[in-house]
Amino acid sequence: MSTPDAALAPPFAAEVPKPGLLQRVSSDAGLGIVLALPVVILMAAFVFVPVALTAWDSFHRVTPMLPGEPFVGFRNYTRMLSDPAVRNAWWNTWFYVAAAVSLELVLGLGAALLLNGMKHGRRWLLAAVILPWALPPVVNAMVWSWIYNPHYGLLNGLLMRFGLIGEARVWMNDQASALICVTLVHVWRMMPLNAVILLAALQTIPRELYEAAEVDGAGRLKTLRLVTLPLISGALGIALTQSTITAFNIFDEAWILAKASALTRPIQGQIYMTAFQDLKFSYGMAMSITVMLVSILVSSVYVLRIYRETRFD
Amino acid sequence: MSGSGSGKNDKTPNMELEMRFSDHFRARRCVLGLPLALSAALVAAMAQAEEITVLLPGGGYPASVIEEFTAETGIEVDQQTLAWDQLHTRIITALVAGTAPADVIELDWSWVGQFGAAGWLEPLDDVLDPSALEQVSVLPIFQAGGKTLGAPYNNDFKMMVVNTAHLEKAGITAPPTTVDELLAAGRAVKEAGITEHPFGLPLSVGEATSTAWYLITMMYGGDLFDADGNPAFTDPESGGYKALEFIRTAVEEGLIDPASTAYGNPEVREAFKAGDISFILSDGPGPLSTYNDPEKSAIAGQSAASVVPNVSGETRTYGLPEALAVPSASGSKDAAVKFINFVMSKEMQENVYTLDGTLPTRKDALADLNAAGTLESGDAIVAQVGAVGPLFDGGTPPWYPPFSNAAAAAVNAVAIGQMSVDEAVASIARAAEDARAEY
Repeated sequence: MSTPDAALAPPFAAEVPKPGLLQRVSSDAGLGIVLALPVVILMAAFVFVPVALTAWDSFHRVTPMLPGEPFVGFRNYTRMLSDPAVRNAWWNTWFYVAAAVSLELVLGLGAALLLNGMKHGRRWLLAAVILPWALPPVVNAMVWSWIYNPHYGLLNGLLMRFGLIGEARVWMNDQASALICVTLVHVWRMMPLNAVILLAALQTIPRELYEAAEVDGAGRLKTLRLVTLPLISGALGIALTQSTITAFNIFDEAWILAKASALTRPIQGQIYMTAFQDLKFSYGMAMSITVMLVSILVSSVYVLRIYRETRFD
Repeated sequence: MSGSGSGKNDKTPNMELEMRFSDHFRARRCVLGLPLALSAALVAAMAQAEEITVLLPGGGYPASVIEEFTAETGIEVDQQTLAWDQLHTRIITALVAGTAPADVIELDWSWVGQFGAAGWLEPLDDVLDPSALEQVSVLPIFQAGGKTLGAPYNNDFKMMVVNTAHLEKAGITAPPTTVDELLAAGRAVKEAGITEHPFGLPLSVGEATSTAWYLITMMYGGDLFDADGNPAFTDPESGGYKALEFIRTAVEEGLIDPASTAYGNPEVREAFKAGDISFILSDGPGPLSTYNDPEKSAIAGQSAASVVPNVSGETRTYGLPEALAVPSASGSKDAAVKFINFVMSKEMQENVYTLDGTLPTRKDALADLNAAGTLESGDAIVAQVGAVGPLFDGGTPPWYPPFSNAAAAAVNAVAIGQMSVDEAVASIARAAEDARAEY
């Protein structure tokens, strides 16, 4: 006979064994942790720890030519404010970000809409559109350096043939044209990725919505504004984020086209020169941390927007 | 069932089982033993054939030189080469990480201060062949803190290279020896329509541009710093100031291609080889053999070295030799030193000059080549060698790279028209003072 206490106890409470390691692992939560662990370890090893070390070193003076690594506080950060080369590099970088992100978004959306509307040959055109993105950035930049070449470049040749310029121009000797030239090469390389992201989103929109809009008398622009864009806003956010981050990281295009010229030197070029030519590592690290924070800050605007647009509650 | 009842042999089941196990283990031993034996043989072979890595710019040493070294010493050489622009970064990143990018590495004259202060290199004073120490006059350039950090193998110094056929067409009988003659010759070549932009000068933001500015400063009889270490190029009468004015004038007159603002040395040399320019104002004797090689150049037989023009009647130039060095982190220092001593011998320096045009650093090798008539533009080179001096009297300082970057950026800005000469000299002086203040 069971005692009254025992009768009140949950049935089989005493008999339920604690789950073993295997059972715990095979539970949903445990499996999730196990599957995520390799990524967590890799991210910690290759991203979080290096970032933390870089941030720590940026508060020290790390220069292999000087003894010791004394703590210098925010000196490496405040120094950036009075360094004309850094200010100039930031100015160039902001130009790249503003111009490249806008162009990549507009052209990427245009290409995605075009591809989405195609009934035949879409896969071939998609392959052609993706090609610049698939090529290494240095190869892209080399090809464009030939196009911009003042002596035998295609650009000067075409413009002179159509009478738009009288004589060959050295595009990299004028800041406005040099910045535009570098931006165009970057846009040419990165726009396809936006097109693919947006095309994937466009293909998820049910056809019935367009038919309903048509019945309601919506024109093409109105349909784009009221049906298409709201339904691909998540993808637009992703495209904006990746465009922003890659624009903050422009380096290859500017370096190949104009070497270290101050007219086009982006902040990544300034970091390279500071850290690897002048060997001022901690100053370079402070610049890197700043770029990372700024690009996270700008991108977080899009990410928060996506979160609001796509959350389930 | 198997075996015992077959009647094919009279072994008991136990015996058969033992034999089968025995065969099995024998087979396993073979399977396990083979890789072990192979590994042992491999380890033995590796122990016998020591290997070193060598990291150099351009094409490195000719294959026949490497083969001769291996045949003589039994040491295998894995030679890796990189373009000049990538070499510094490749070496620095490895050295900063405390590893050796190779057992023998390139050491440019401009890196000596940095590398010496960082303590990345093995001193070579006690291990270099004494004859190399005696015969190489540019050795002090590679000394820092009283220690020799590199063995100079490429006797690079600045001089002018001209296209003699272009000069002849323009009615110029001898290469210009003064700055005024140089400008007049350039204008004559341009007016005759022989080349649109007669002067080749790198003007991108890079080492080639700053070193070109130093040379033109010397053409005007100037120095970069005075005896107290203060900038000596800010006065409008100074050589450095006039050098910037020369560059600005030459670009404005079209004597220098405006596209040179994106050129380093390779681009200028390609233009010269194509016959698009008539003078390389800031070159060295090394590439002469390439310019005169019909397989590599459209102007073969037309190029000659010429002494650096001047304003005082006395030519001046400076050395920017390259050396071989051994990183402190190298695991094969002895073999690396053997390689360095091998290529630093007189015979090998002469051999390498014949094969790829690398100008010897040894005085005896230079004398032999000139006596044999194999030194291209030998008279001009010998005349110029006597006027080679160091750019920095006390050796290349650790703050040189930021100073050089600032100088190149200012020269580039003057050529583009983004800065006046006054602004440029002020910015270079400011950068020099800032860089020096840090060390």
